[in-house]
Amino acid sequence: MPRRKPDPRRPQRRKDVRHGEPGDAFRCVGCRLDVPVLAPGTAHRNHCPHCLTSLHVDHRVPGDRRAGCRGRMAALSVSVRHDGEWLIIHHCQSCGGLSANRIAGDDNALALLRIAMRPLSDRRLPVNALLTL
Amino acid sequence: MSTNKIRTVTDTFACVRCGLTVAAAGPDGTRRNHCPSCLHSLHVLDRAEGGPSECRSRMTPISIAVLRSGDWMIIHRCTRCGELTSNPISGDDNQLILMRMAVRPLAQPPFPLETFGDL
Repeated sequence: MPRRKPDPRRPQRRKDVRHGEPGDAFRCVGCRLDVPVLAPGTAHRNHCPHCLTSLHVDHRVPGDRRAGCRGRMAALSVSVRHDGEWLIIHHCQSCGGLSANRIAGDDNALALLRIAMRPLSDRRLPVNALLTL
Repeated sequence: MSTNKIRTVTDTFACVRCGLTVAAAGPDGTRRNHCPSCLHSLHVLDRAEGGPSECRSRMTPISIAVLRSGDWMIIHRCTRCGELTSNPISGDDNQLILMRMAVRPLAQPPFPLETFGDL
């Protein structure tokens, strides 16, 4: 499959400080899976690759740990950047905040596709818009 | 009818992107928060503080989310500060743009979709 990213973007910021997690794995709050911190294709593992659940710890910059919420963030929808890269929109279950995170190389493709298909599997699909084409 | 109610019925705003003059009240009587033609919005409410935002720049629609109740929400991202908000769609929103946003992930999948045909 040809790569759809012709021009290289700005490289991701490296993590220069580890916040109280000396280990190399964390446990997912959604499915209790032990997840290694190192992820293929991204410098920041911020969601579980199996159930795509995240934790509300970062405020604006990845890895800043400035959010005091620590609530569970469920995957709400999928967005696409201009270069074709998918983003998961996470929705915090306790404070209602939203955040957009890049997908990682080992994310569950079935879970991603399920979220992406959710608008299309709706019964109240605006079919009229498609029929007028 | 009080003047306040008249004002909410007759109030209009101009879209920051397409310039369309839109009635501020939607078809169901609630106040709109995005243009029904191009679905762009304006960053006027600060979600974290709860009050008016000082940003006041354009917010582009980036994706469609479906709630458990089946209602569609538009996820907006501010072009200046990157803030994300979610707003419910209204009845007269441009359905072509809604559908375009809904199928955009499937048009550019990061993995081949052929394997899902076997499932």
